[in-house]
Amino acid sequence: MVSLSGLAKGYEFPPVPFELSRDWVEEYRAAVEDEATAEVGDDVVPPMALVALAVRSLLEQAALPEGTIHLGQEVSFRRAVRVGEPLEAQARITSRGERQGWLLMGIELSVEDAAGWAVMHGRATITVPGA
Amino acid sequence: MSQRPGSLPEATAGQALPAVVRYVTQEKINRYARASGDGNPLHTDPEYAARTRFGGTIAHGLLVLAYVSEMLTAAFGERWPNGGRLKSRFRAPARPGDTLTVSGEVQKADGVRTLCRIEVRNQAGEVLVDGEAEVGG
Repeated sequence: MVSLSGLAKGYEFPPVPFELSRDWVEEYRAAVEDEATAEVGDDVVPPMALVALAVRSLLEQAALPEGTIHLGQEVSFRRAVRVGEPLEAQARITSRGERQGWLLMGIELSVEDAAGWAVMHGRATITVPGA
Repeated sequence: MSQRPGSLPEATAGQALPAVVRYVTQEKINRYARASGDGNPLHTDPEYAARTRFGGTIAHGLLVLAYVSEMLTAAFGERWPNGGRLKSRFRAPARPGDTLTVSGEVQKADGVRTLCRIEVRNQAGEVLVDGEAEVGG
């Protein structure tokens, strides 16, 4: 598997399709102790679960170098997603630079629904030691 | 399906969001690692993490942001997943044994968008995460 730190600015990961199964959503809800989302709607997926799945899709394609640190996260949600929806995650390296021996990378993450509409769009900023 | 508006259907500047308090444990971090597929040993391997500059395991940033998301859902209901935005910076790590308090305050509400400042502090009052959130209405 390729290392994330070896990827150039502009690199686009192949899209990864996935379906939000009820079992996985329940596992996620339990892991984050989410109690509020069910009050919005029984089948509504906690919105940050979309970011977690987008990151998981990325990690299935590129290894995080040891010591990688998450510096910041921007995210916008276009609409609530419901259990069972087929979705597709995409990721792209949007920036890459060095600062004091650390590699700084910006990674754009997005999730689209079956119609091709974005339901989540975000940007993670990470730093990797030993640039 | 029920559609609750959240606890702040008509937010006004200066209004506090309903705080969320969470106690972090290694088991909770491990559970998040399994659910998210992010098994970075910095989060899950105490022996490895002890040799890093953090001196021990730390929680995933996205786990902490899930707590922020819960506060925003409690405050704004369906407006959060339907058009909400969050911009956050991780200032310091959350560690096993930490009690995190997620809080927020409405900065501006003009009937179209509601802007909030959000932050996460540990039991010592140290800011671990800060940022801005925005929802419609």
